[in-house]
Amino acid sequence: MNGTLALAGAEIRRLRRNRRYLIFTVGLPVLLYLAVGKQNATSYGVAFKAFYMVAMATFGALSGAFNNNVIRISQERKDGWIRQLRLTPLPANSYVVAKLIASMVTSVPAIALVFILGSAYGGVSMPLWRWIVIAVAIWFGTFIFAALAVAIGYRFNPDSVQPIALVVFFAFSIFGGLWFPLSGGMQDFAKFTPTYQVVRISTDVLGSGTVNAAYVIGIVVWFAIFLGLAVLAVRSTAESM
Amino acid sequence: MTTGNGAPIVTFDNVSKYYGALKAVDGLSLELRGGETVALLGPNGAGKSTSLDMLLALRKPTAGKITMFGQDPYHAVKSGRVGAMLQSGGLMPEVTVRELVTLVAGFHTRPVAPDITMRRAGIAEIADQRVDKLSGGQTQRVRFALAIAGESELIVLDEPTTAMDVETRRLFWANMKAEAAEGRTVLFATHYLEEADHAADRILVINRGRLLADGTPDEIKERAGARRLAFRLPAVDEAFLLRLPGLVNLEVRGDFVQLQVTDSDAALYAVLDAGYRPHEIEVASLGLEQAFIAITSQDDADAAGEPAKEMI
Repeated sequence: MNGTLALAGAEIRRLRRNRRYLIFTVGLPVLLYLAVGKQNATSYGVAFKAFYMVAMATFGALSGAFNNNVIRISQERKDGWIRQLRLTPLPANSYVVAKLIASMVTSVPAIALVFILGSAYGGVSMPLWRWIVIAVAIWFGTFIFAALAVAIGYRFNPDSVQPIALVVFFAFSIFGGLWFPLSGGMQDFAKFTPTYQVVRISTDVLGSGTVNAAYVIGIVVWFAIFLGLAVLAVRSTAESM
Repeated sequence: MTTGNGAPIVTFDNVSKYYGALKAVDGLSLELRGGETVALLGPNGAGKSTSLDMLLALRKPTAGKITMFGQDPYHAVKSGRVGAMLQSGGLMPEVTVRELVTLVAGFHTRPVAPDITMRRAGIAEIADQRVDKLSGGQTQRVRFALAIAGESELIVLDEPTTAMDVETRRLFWANMKAEAAEGRTVLFATHYLEEADHAADRILVINRGRLLADGTPDEIKERAGARRLAFRLPAVDEAFLLRLPGLVNLEVRGDFVQLQVTDSDAALYAVLDAGYRPHEIEVASLGLEQAFIAITSQDDADAAGEPAKEMI
């Protein structure tokens, strides 16, 4: 486990130096919140500024755990870094475990910064336990997106992974209602996306305090599916790398 | 025979690897003993990389069994007793050389101090550079550093000097000899014959996934029919020459005949006994390169179902 943690530590150090991570994962949600967040409207039964805080935190989690990982994993597989790791005493699954741990850690600043902004700039206030529940829900989201990143990154080479990642990222962002709240037919469809489910769990906690169980089941099912796909992808590519 | 001693640390027992109809490795059996420096020599596509991949648990044999340190390859690798550098191995980008070497050393139960590893690999002066900003030769040395980052008993190298310039290559082998002198066993694949000749005390020649020869560089030269017999003989009878004892290769250019044979004396006597009187007779011994070409071309010819013969 020490080796795996050391690898996760190295992954985190790498990310900190990565301009793309800083701009898209940490910077973009903050900028969007500053630009759009302060509106007098109600979305999903809560103030828009509260909804948008949750949406932007989820957006940061998605971008950090999915976008950052998926291209790197594909590239590192192609470059032979994963292969090199298999030649060390590090346990076989360490690479993936370290990526998951690193994603969990590196999504914290993105989530925290947007929360601080929501509280200080957007004036969102709620009891501490609700902040914690929301943070955990979004944090669990990073796990889902990281698992999907593993499934796609292991399966496709860097050239084809770029467009696939882009499509998945935009679909989850737009149809998950991260950029603007959804209504009507779009919302009926969005109910099945993990991003929308994470956002709605959070707005439910913020508003009524009662969470729709369907959303919780939803994210658990998504996680199980993506994790299963990830395991399959890792196993089926073991011989070819 | 060899400088190795004790029980074999690596055993290939009739190992095969098929990719559909392609037999990348075809019934390979061999043993490595502790302390040996062994070259796995063969042309491209001979099955060297596939063999090393199977030894390092990256691929599973279709048939046969590989044992390393009395264990299956996967557990042997995870026990940290093997350090490896493969052509296809990559590096983690966006970290410095020192960070990477330190990280990999930390995976070992018996790590070598990163500063020592970097000095041995000749990368001490680039320790603070970023891994993704290195030249091909520097990258290759970092990969070597990762192979020796732990106190491994066996070092496996697949074409280690590819992308190295002459000076770096010389340094690399000097370092490698120092590693071997500490009692480590070294197995390296190469298609550079001088490398095998210089660095190895034992050479395994493989072609078409099979072991063709196993011995010291001198033994390999001898085994290959490493004598060259040349003479001029007008109205030469090729059918007769092809029946000469120990013939490995035959070239006929007008009245000039050049033979590669295992025993030049026997071949010459046979020519004389048949009543021929060749002139300008020359006998020479061949280098490892010709020996290697002889062994593999004989094998290729056998596979094609005809004796080795070249007309120029």
